[in-house]
Amino acid sequence: MSSIENFLRGPSFVSAPNASVSRFSNNDRNLFPSPSFHRRSLTSMHSSFLTRLLVALPALALAALATAVPLDQPVIAPSGVLRLWTDTTGRQVEATFRGIENGEIYLQTRNGFVYRLPLSRLSPEDQKMAAQLKPEGLGIPRDPSLAQAAAVIDKGVLLGLEKAKQQPNPLASDEQFIRRVYLDLNGRIPTREETIAFLEDKSDSKRAKVIDKLIQSEGFSSHLFNYFSDMLRLAHDAQKAKFYTYEEWFKNQLAANRPYNEIVRELLSADGKLLENGATGYLLRDRGMRLDNLSLTLSSFLGANVACAQCHDHPFADWTQKQFFQMAAFFGASEVGVKARTPALRGLREELGNAAFQQARRLMDVNSLLIRDGSANDLTLPNDYKYKDGKPGDPVAPALVTWGPNDHRLRCYQDAEAGLKKLGKDEGALRDIFARWMTSPDNPRFAMTIANRLWKLVFGVGLKEPVTDLDDPNAASNPALLHHLGNEMVRLKFDLRAFMRLLCNTQTYQREAVTRELELGEAFLFPGPILRRMTAEQAWDSCVTLAIGEKIDAFKAKRGEAYAQVMNMNVAEADVEAIKEKLTAMQSLRKKGMLETKGKAKAKAKRKAAPTMAEDETDAQSPETLDGLVLARASELRQPERDNHFLRMFGQSDRQICDSNSLEGSVPQVLMLMNGEAQSVLGSSSARVTATAMGMTKPEEKVEALYLSFFSRRPSAGELGEAVAALNGGLQSADLAWVLFNAREFVFVQ
Amino acid sequence: MNQPFNSLNPVGRRLFAERLAQSVLGVSLLPHLSALAQEAPAPAAKAPGFGKAKAVIWLQMTGGMSHIDTLDPKRGESKGARDPIATKAGYELGGYLPKLAASHSEKMAIIRSMSSKTGVHASGQYLMRTGYEQRGTIQHPSLGAWAQELLGKSHKTLPSSVCVNRNPDHGNGFFSAAYSPLPIHDPDAGLQYSTFAASSEVMDKRLALLNKIDGGFRAKFKDSNLKAYSDFYDDTLKLLSSEDLAAFKLTDEQDEQREAYGRNKFGQGCMLARRLVERGVRFVEVTQGGWDMHNDIDDEMQENGGIIDVAISALLEDLHNRGLLQSTMIVLCSEFGRGPRINSRSGRDHHPKVFSTMLAGAGVRGGTIYGSSDKDGNSVADKQSTIQDFHSTVGHAMGMDVDHVTMSPSNRPFTVGDKGKVIADVLA
Repeated sequence: MSSIENFLRGPSFVSAPNASVSRFSNNDRNLFPSPSFHRRSLTSMHSSFLTRLLVALPALALAALATAVPLDQPVIAPSGVLRLWTDTTGRQVEATFRGIENGEIYLQTRNGFVYRLPLSRLSPEDQKMAAQLKPEGLGIPRDPSLAQAAAVIDKGVLLGLEKAKQQPNPLASDEQFIRRVYLDLNGRIPTREETIAFLEDKSDSKRAKVIDKLIQSEGFSSHLFNYFSDMLRLAHDAQKAKFYTYEEWFKNQLAANRPYNEIVRELLSADGKLLENGATGYLLRDRGMRLDNLSLTLSSFLGANVACAQCHDHPFADWTQKQFFQMAAFFGASEVGVKARTPALRGLREELGNAAFQQARRLMDVNSLLIRDGSANDLTLPNDYKYKDGKPGDPVAPALVTWGPNDHRLRCYQDAEAGLKKLGKDEGALRDIFARWMTSPDNPRFAMTIANRLWKLVFGVGLKEPVTDLDDPNAASNPALLHHLGNEMVRLKFDLRAFMRLLCNTQTYQREAVTRELELGEAFLFPGPILRRMTAEQAWDSCVTLAIGEKIDAFKAKRGEAYAQVMNMNVAEADVEAIKEKLTAMQSLRKKGMLETKGKAKAKAKRKAAPTMAEDETDAQSPETLDGLVLARASELRQPERDNHFLRMFGQSDRQICDSNSLEGSVPQVLMLMNGEAQSVLGSSSARVTATAMGMTKPEEKVEALYLSFFSRRPSAGELGEAVAALNGGLQSADLAWVLFNAREFVFVQ
Repeated sequence: MNQPFNSLNPVGRRLFAERLAQSVLGVSLLPHLSALAQEAPAPAAKAPGFGKAKAVIWLQMTGGMSHIDTLDPKRGESKGARDPIATKAGYELGGYLPKLAASHSEKMAIIRSMSSKTGVHASGQYLMRTGYEQRGTIQHPSLGAWAQELLGKSHKTLPSSVCVNRNPDHGNGFFSAAYSPLPIHDPDAGLQYSTFAASSEVMDKRLALLNKIDGGFRAKFKDSNLKAYSDFYDDTLKLLSSEDLAAFKLTDEQDEQREAYGRNKFGQGCMLARRLVERGVRFVEVTQGGWDMHNDIDDEMQENGGIIDVAISALLEDLHNRGLLQSTMIVLCSEFGRGPRINSRSGRDHHPKVFSTMLAGAGVRGGTIYGSSDKDGNSVADKQSTIQDFHSTVGHAMGMDVDHVTMSPSNRPFTVGDKGKVIADVLA
C-alpha cells in the first residue's frame, strides 16, 4: 500500500470514491499511484466495453504527451503548492491545501483526489500552518471523485499546454467566476443580490456550492433547451402545424434530466402522432426531406461531415454517396407524415365559408403528422447517381458506416448486425436498429460529439471545430482530451447535468479568460476559456433578470398539452359536426395567440398589440410585460421569436439551419441596443435595476448598485469617480443603466 | 486557397480574352488592356454587360406572380380576364400592366423560359434570392452579399445592401453578419431605431461616459469580434450623425413625386430604393407580397398588378430622368409562376415549370424577349433557363466573375449563381 493510502487511512471523506474516473490511457499509470483505484475503475461499470474503450484510446498520442512531462513536477494543481504534511504519528503525504471547514482539513494529492480529515490528526506545526494558509485552487470541492475527475481534465489540458510551451491563465476572480457560471449554468447573469451573497460568502467551498445550486436550477434546463433548439432547429411552425408538443416533450426530458442518449434515441425511433407523442417532432419537422434530415442527424449527433455526400462523393473526406444512401435506407421503411383521409371535408367550404374551411384543413394537416413503420425499405439510388457501384433507381440495402478498421467489432455494430439478420421480410424495425447503434455508449462518435459540443458551450471553442465534423478526432487541438471527455460522458451515463458540473469544477474553467487573439491557424489549447459574446438567449434572459430579477422563472409556457387537446381528433371517422365542434374549440387557442402564423403575428405586432403568444389576460399564469415586451425566459417565448424581436436581432437562429445562432454584431443590432425597447425598459423606474439605484441616496451607492447588477462586480476607484462625476454632471441612474447596457463588458463574458 | 478551383489559370484566361477580342474586334488587345486581362480575375470579355450594373434594385414578388397575367400573356384558353396589350418593342404584356406597356417596353428584357423544380413558397423564395437550393446545412448569400465580398463595400457610411418590406433573412448567408442587408420594414417610417433614445446633449454625455468606463475592458481583450462590435458602434454613430441618413427619409421628397410611385409600401419602397441607389447603396431589394392568388385572381391582379405597374413605371422614369438608369439594373422576379388553368375558385395555382422574369436598365438589352413558353404558358418551349442562370446573369452584370470559387467557412466551394450560365442575349 502506498504511503498516501497509509497516511489517509481512517475516517476520510469517503472511504472509497463511489464513481470511478476513466483515465487518459493505460500508459500513464504512474500518474495514478493508487492501485486500488485502478481496480475499481475497471470493475465498477460495464467492464467489458470499458476495457475496449481503453484499448481504443489513442495510446500513441497520449504516451508521447505523458512521457514528455517529468513526473516529479506537480502536474495537476499548478496554481497550488504541494506541501509535505505530517500527521500526529509522523506519517507524511504530499498534497495541496484546499481549505478548512468545520474543523476538517481538505488536502488534494497529486493524483487529484481530495481527502478530508480532522485537523487534529495533523502535527501541531502543520495545524498552525494550515490555519494561516490561503486555500489553493478552487477551494473545497463537493465530492472527492468529482474533484479527481476535474483534476484529470485539468491535467489533460496542462499536458497540451506544456507541449506547446504555454502557461495556463491565473484563476479567475470571484466576480468573473460568478457571472460566467451563472451564464453557463443558468443562462443569465446573476442578480445584484445573488452576486453580493456569493462575494460575501467566506466559505472555502462556495464555488463548488454555487455550481451545484445552478446545475439543479430551472434556468439550467432553459439554457440547455435554447442550445438544443438551435442545434435541432426546433420551431413552432413547421408543416403547416404547430410543433408545441415537440417543444414540451423536449423541455420535459431536460427537466427530468433524462440521459442524452435516451433522448436522442427516442427522437429517432418515435412513432405515432405528433399530437400524442411530441418526440416524433424531430423527424416530422423535416417531412419530405428525408435525406436532409439524415444529413443533419449524422452531423449533429455524430460529427459526421456528410453534407456533400448527400449529392455526390465527398471531395475531401472518405464519405461516398453510396454510404450516405445506405444509412438513409434505415429510414426507408418508415412513413413520416401520412396523409389523413378527410371524407367530411368535401362540401364543407360551402357550408362553413372559406375562412373556416381553411381552419378545418389545418386541423386535418396537423392530424396527418404521424410516423408509421411500414414493412419494406423503399429507398433507391437517386436519378442522377453517377458512380460505378450502383445504377440510378437501384434499391439500397442498409449498412452502417465505420470510422476505423476495428469498429465493426464494437458491440453496437454487432447488435445492429444481429438485428438486421433477425429482420426477415419485415423491415419495420430498421429505424430502431439505427437509433440504438447511433446512441450506443460504444458508438465511436456519439458520446465524443456531445462532449465536444458541451465543452464548447462552456469554453467558447470546441476541442475540435467545427463540432459537426469529428471525422478525424486526432485533428482536435488536444485529441487525448477529446477522447477522454467522450469517455467521461459515457462514465457519467450521458447525464448532462453531471457532465456540465464536472466541466465547471475544473480549474481550466475557473481560470481567467484569454485576452490575446489567436494567430491564424493556431490551435487553441485552453489556458482558460475564451472571451465570448453572450448568446441571444443569454442576453435576453439577462435583460429580463435586470428588469424583474429572479421572478424570471415564474412564467412557464405550456402549450403542448392544450394544443393537442383541442386539435387531436380521429380524422378518418370525423363527420361535419365533429369538425365544427373542433373549430369552435380552436377559438380558445386563437385567443391565446397559439394559432397565429408568422405573417399574421407580424402584422399584429405592428399594431402594437405585440406579443400575444405568451399573453393571456384571463390566465393567472401570465408573464409580466413592460413596454410591449413579454418579460419571460427566451425558452418560454415563440420558437423562434418574430424577426424584429430583441432575440432575433441579437442573433437567435431562425431555426432553419443547425447551430446558426449568431454572435456577430450588425448596425441594426447596435441601433436596437442604443435606441430600442430593451434599453428603454431597463432605464424605466419599473425595472428593478434602475429602481434599486434610484432608491439609493448617495451617487456612489447608485453606481455600485448598477455595477453589481450589470457587471457582477463593484466599480474600480477610477470608474466610480467617472460615474459619480457624470451623475453630478446631470446624468441620471437611467442614463448610467444605458451606458452599462451598451458597454462591451455587458455583452461579452470573460 | 481558391486557386485549384479556378477553371482557367491567368494565362489561359488571357489567351481566351485575346482570342475573343481578335474574333470580335478584329484586333489584338492593346498592351495595357492585355495587362489588365492578365491580372483581373474577371472574364470581362466573356459576355456583354459585365460590370455595367453598379447598382441593382431587386423587386421580389412573393407568393408566385402569374406570368400569364403579367410578362408572358396568352390569348388561348389559359388567358385571364384581361386581354394582352401590344407594346412598341413588338412584344405583348399582360393587361394589368398598361403603363409599363405604353412607355417602357424598350427598356425591358423579359425571360419567358424560366423553370424550377420548387413549388413551395419558402424554398422557392430562398432559391430566387440566393441562386441555391435550400439546405439545412448551410445558408447561402444573396447577390448583395456576394458583391460585398467580391467587390467590396459600396459606400463609406451607408450599408452596401438594404432590404425593404422584409426581414434580412436569406441575406449574408455564410459570409459575415456585416454583409447582412439593412432591413427597412416600413419605407414611410424609415430606418428602425434611428431616433436617439435621449436628447443629443444627454446622448453625448452617455457616449462620453461609455467610452471612459468601457475603455479598460476594450483595451484588455485583443479579440476581433469585440473589436468588430466597437466598429459597429462607430459605424452606427457615423450613420446616425451623417447626412446620408437622409437617404432613408422619404419625407424629403415632394408629394407629387411620392404620389407618382403610388402611396403604398411597394411604391414607396421603390422610391426609397431610388434614393438609396442614388447615394451609393449597391443592392436594394423591395418586396411585394400578395401574389399567391389561389382565389379570384382577376380581383387580386387588378390590385397587385396596378401597384407594380405604377411603381415600376415611376421608378424607370425617375432613374432615367436622373441619369441613373445607365448604372442601375432593375430586376423583377418571383419564386415561381402560376398555372394556365383557372381553378374552381377563379384562381391559379403554383407553377414552377415555366415562368418569367424581367430585367431593365444598366447592362440590359432593352426590348428583348428571351426564350418562350408553350401556347398555354404551361411549359418551356424554347431556351429553358434556370434560376441559377438568372443569378449568374445579374451577378455578371454587377461585375462578378461567376466562375470564381469562394470557400465557405465550412470549407465548401460556392460560386455566384451556383454554376449557372450567363444569358448573354439579354445583356448589352
